[in-house]
Amino acid sequence: MRRTHDTSDFFIASRGLGPIVVSLALFSSTLSGFGFVGGPGLVYSIGVSSFWMVIISSTGYAVCFFLVSKRIRMIAELRDCISLPDIVAARYGSEAVRFMLAVTIVLGVMGYLATQILAMAVVMQAILSGTEMFADVGLVTCVAISSAVLIFYCVTGGIIASVYTDVVQGTIMIVAGALILIAATNVFDGGMQEATSIILADDAETVMPYGAAGIMSSLGWFFVFGLGLAGQPHIITKMMMNKDLRDNRSMLPLSLFGYAMAALLWVSIGIVMRAAVLDGRVEPLALPDDAASVFLSMFTNPLLAGIVFAGLFAAIMSTSDAFLNIGTAAIIHDIPKAIQGKSIKNDLFWARIVTVLLALVAASFALYSHFQDATLVALLGAFGWGTFAASIFPVVAVGLNWKGASVWGAVTAITVSLIINFVSQLAGYTFPYGVSGQLVAFVCSMVLFIGVSLISPKPSLASDIDRVLDI
Amino acid sequence: MRGHLIHTIFFTAVIMAVVLVAICLTETVPDAGGKPHPDYSGLQIGGDGAARLEHIGLLSFSFQCLLLIQITLLSTLGVPERYRTTELLSYMGGSLVLMLLVAWKMFFGHQAFLATQETDYFFGFPDATAWQTYGTWLSAIPLVLIYSLGFNKFIFSLEDEKKFNALLAEKNKNNR
Repeated sequence: MRRTHDTSDFFIASRGLGPIVVSLALFSSTLSGFGFVGGPGLVYSIGVSSFWMVIISSTGYAVCFFLVSKRIRMIAELRDCISLPDIVAARYGSEAVRFMLAVTIVLGVMGYLATQILAMAVVMQAILSGTEMFADVGLVTCVAISSAVLIFYCVTGGIIASVYTDVVQGTIMIVAGALILIAATNVFDGGMQEATSIILADDAETVMPYGAAGIMSSLGWFFVFGLGLAGQPHIITKMMMNKDLRDNRSMLPLSLFGYAMAALLWVSIGIVMRAAVLDGRVEPLALPDDAASVFLSMFTNPLLAGIVFAGLFAAIMSTSDAFLNIGTAAIIHDIPKAIQGKSIKNDLFWARIVTVLLALVAASFALYSHFQDATLVALLGAFGWGTFAASIFPVVAVGLNWKGASVWGAVTAITVSLIINFVSQLAGYTFPYGVSGQLVAFVCSMVLFIGVSLISPKPSLASDIDRVLDI
Repeated sequence: MRGHLIHTIFFTAVIMAVVLVAICLTETVPDAGGKPHPDYSGLQIGGDGAARLEHIGLLSFSFQCLLLIQITLLSTLGVPERYRTTELLSYMGGSLVLMLLVAWKMFFGHQAFLATQETDYFFGFPDATAWQTYGTWLSAIPLVLIYSLGFNKFIFSLEDEKKFNALLAEKNKNNR
């Protein structure tokens, strides 16, 4: 709390972080709790299809750095921006674009945040149920404890707390990824090849390049997770936080190295658990998401399992903090600024109040979803990444590199991607061959953003922004 | 191309949209997106791989190639126009060729497996999957190297730094 004096500290750590800290924060924000739980579960369930979410990391990070890292950092310093909508408002000279982006962020954040709180509560309940004293603890209690810890942590620390938890989480994930790979290759005498041979004998497609989900699902993930990385606000906002612009040069390989090491956990656990179930070594899992916890309890020593669980909590805490942070910025800073031309008074005070309220709403939402409508959080969670990718990538990543990008192009791209994502998610519409609504939204958004900008009158840029886009 | 890069990106995006529409309009096959495992709940299987690719195989591969081209074009867009020299374009072109080669080996390796039901293994995975897993990740490393090693030359030169510092100085002067 001593390091958080104003909203610049609270939201972007006053652009004072070094390259190693930002690199670890970048890659661990990308993986979050999903990397520990959902990732291995997906490989267990659909095989190699879900590898596509991971193996595109080198492409995704490269595109993200080429298109975003330099100019977002320059505009942030030049215009004292503290949020992504601030950046687009400066770039387009439009409060309408700021407003639409802020609303998109709030919508996406709610789903993500509820998912993270629920995940933290479920893991906490699973751990406590193994103890004598807390064996009967309920999920509501775990949600309350999780939310209280999260609120204390975020309100006092702001984004600095998130970034330093990312550092802890990132370091743990790098070490755990390497150790888990060693453990996984020792489960079968013939190593990973024996595991994949068992899967191939059962259903060859599962372990072929496009996996059980098929070629278009796989390519959809390649598109949405690869290019879409540069549209994730909780990730690219961190590119505004480094002290020196030249740090970008080393941040790209550092982030990628960290991600690759941590992703070993995602890939190896899922493959080995599927082979172990098919081979009869392990009972079929109740839920695919149990893959990581069952693997840790059966095939690793308790110390490594403890390290990974610590990493999991750090992952959930830091990701939740990052989402609370960008959601709060949208509510107390961007939406008021778009409507009345200025953010609210006593913004640091209100940032803390809104952080508490957002966490409480997301916790209630998570509980409602868990007990009343189990699909709601999952729907909004899935809606989050795809919506961010489809609506933010063209507007930010292309818009920061092309002077011809217009307000109309930006408004059209955001509107269309929101509509397609909402309709396909809420109506449950499925396209043939596993083509996802997110992929359709992203492709439409790209075409419309550039197409509408090309036929719009040439936009006039503020002189400083014009000069930044020349650099 | 240097001055009309955005038009090339737009054109590529439009072709991708057309290919996507063509895939959606193609005759469908049952369970093209996978189906539940007959013996284990929670597991999905792919089933008949040849049937799943029968109508959309080449269209899907075209979509993948267009995506790789788009990635290279977008990376080039991130380089200021004055630095899009022949040297940079040849690096980007080389990177694209490598990515396309890996995609080719993966797709046609899979096709070969579907025809023969036989495969060799490389570092734990069937050949086609090894091209996908290791090859796709490694084939984008040249883009990472162009960015990191070419940072001072293509991304942010000393001259750029001076221009930016001048801009900041102007801002600070105006704020005073």
